[in-house]
Amino acid sequence: MNPLWSNIFRKKSEEDSLAHFLRNLAVFADLGRRELNFIETLVHSRRYAPAEIVFEEGDPGSGMYAIRSGRVSIFVRTPDGQKEQLALLGPGDFFGESTLMAPAQRTASARTLEPTELIGLFRADLLEANQKHPAITNAILIGLARTLSERLQAAEIAIRKLRTAASGTTSGTPIDIDPES
Amino acid sequence: MAPKQDLTRVHLLLLFLVLTAGIASGLAIFSSASTVISLIRTATTGLFLPILLSLIVTFLLDPMVTFVERENISRTTSIFLLYLLVAALLLLAVNWISPHWQDMWNSLRTDMPRYTAKFIALLREGQATLLDRFPYIESYDLPGRARTLVEELVAQILVETPKSFLRLGSLLILVPLFSFFFLRDGSRILRLCVALTPNRYFEMAHDLSSLVSRQMAHFIRGRILEAFIVGLVVTAGLSLTDIRYAPILGLFAGVTNLVPYVGPIIGVIPGILVALVDLGTGGQFWWIVVVYILIAQIIVDNFILIPILISRVSNLHPLWVILAIIMGGKLYGVLGMIIGVPVASAIKIALLEIRHYRSTFTLPDTAQDRDRAT
Repeated sequence: MNPLWSNIFRKKSEEDSLAHFLRNLAVFADLGRRELNFIETLVHSRRYAPAEIVFEEGDPGSGMYAIRSGRVSIFVRTPDGQKEQLALLGPGDFFGESTLMAPAQRTASARTLEPTELIGLFRADLLEANQKHPAITNAILIGLARTLSERLQAAEIAIRKLRTAASGTTSGTPIDIDPES
Repeated sequence: MAPKQDLTRVHLLLLFLVLTAGIASGLAIFSSASTVISLIRTATTGLFLPILLSLIVTFLLDPMVTFVERENISRTTSIFLLYLLVAALLLLAVNWISPHWQDMWNSLRTDMPRYTAKFIALLREGQATLLDRFPYIESYDLPGRARTLVEELVAQILVETPKSFLRLGSLLILVPLFSFFFLRDGSRILRLCVALTPNRYFEMAHDLSSLVSRQMAHFIRGRILEAFIVGLVVTAGLSLTDIRYAPILGLFAGVTNLVPYVGPIIGVIPGILVALVDLGTGGQFWWIVVVYILIAQIIVDNFILIPILISRVSNLHPLWVILAIIMGGKLYGVLGMIIGVPVASAIKIALLEIRHYRSTFTLPDTAQDRDRAT
């Protein structure tokens, strides 16, 4: 076949496509092919070098990131300048989703550990999409809301456990725990 | 010492050569750079107006395209649908207006000198009364200067308008073409530009660009709609009287209304002049004054349109308005005077959004620090 034509008609293999990656994310698990194709036009794909800062604690947050390849470390800086790692995320994980709908500051910092490709989904794009395709945006938002409430519930249970543990050991003032971290 | 002397002499020669070469190549680069810049300038001279107009058209049509797109019609198709609708409306309007327009244009050509003569006479009268009070400004020939200025302006309008119809032809092709692509790919172009920012600033740039473009669209839509409604109100108000050229006067009032503070005053002048010449200072004259100032400017514009359509943040200080008008006029003539202020307001909106964005996110920051300290 003519190489020019083969180039035009060549389809990206299913595993490589962004839609396939998005479908495997917990947030978008319930979405159909059409919705995923639409999300493909919304998200931004960004490449990061190793040890590059994605965002710092206190930055204005405006969206979430999903890891397509590579690893990302989520950490907070302690007052004496040390980094305390909260989580180590790999491909398929996502982070920063708490600032997607409400403008807020990042409560932790994120840094890549190796060459990483991140897929960013931001509030501004979602709001704009909501004007045009409310139905699809609804499906996305329901998925997000479900994930968020799952995480919130898990955090609440963790807080309760920690509080009872703290009151059991020290029987003094309960420890303040940031539910976001 | 001697060889060193020789060396320095060679060095001097070398230094001289290097300096000469440096200066020569510097000059060459400078001249080529200026030729490149002048080439770019000549290449883009005619493009400013069509691009500006198509940006305005894009901002006006974008909400409607989005509205059509909601019905699960692809963006390209919805743009075509909207274009068909707009073209049909324009065709109807032109069909309806063109006979009246021809008559109006012809009579205006004959009437124009009468109006300017009246204007000069008014000026002379004004200077005479001034001279009575301040005799020392006698030497200044105000009416003479005004006459040459006005005659030049009128001649330019009469000669240039048919010419500008030719330019209008090219605009009629370029503006729909440009705005089609701006409508279809505008957000993608903006996305690509934003994607060029480094990773660390990408999120902020993306957020800010969407905030600023939303505000800008809101502002431009508001301004155009405001000018349109004011023009319509003036036309309707004047049509109730016997005044001629009501549509032209309304159009003029609408366009000048784009410029705050100064525009409305300029917009009134031709209407008052025509009323004075044709109708004299009777009841109708005062009705016209009321239409212009009380109804169009104060009631409709200040009490109804501005609070609804235009946010107060885009208000410019009068000093900036005057500066923007002067600078716009220096750059692009009359057109620059009209668009100078909206462009300045747009810049102000962008700066304000950036500052607002920064302050929203620095205020909780200090609060958080305080929490951490306790």
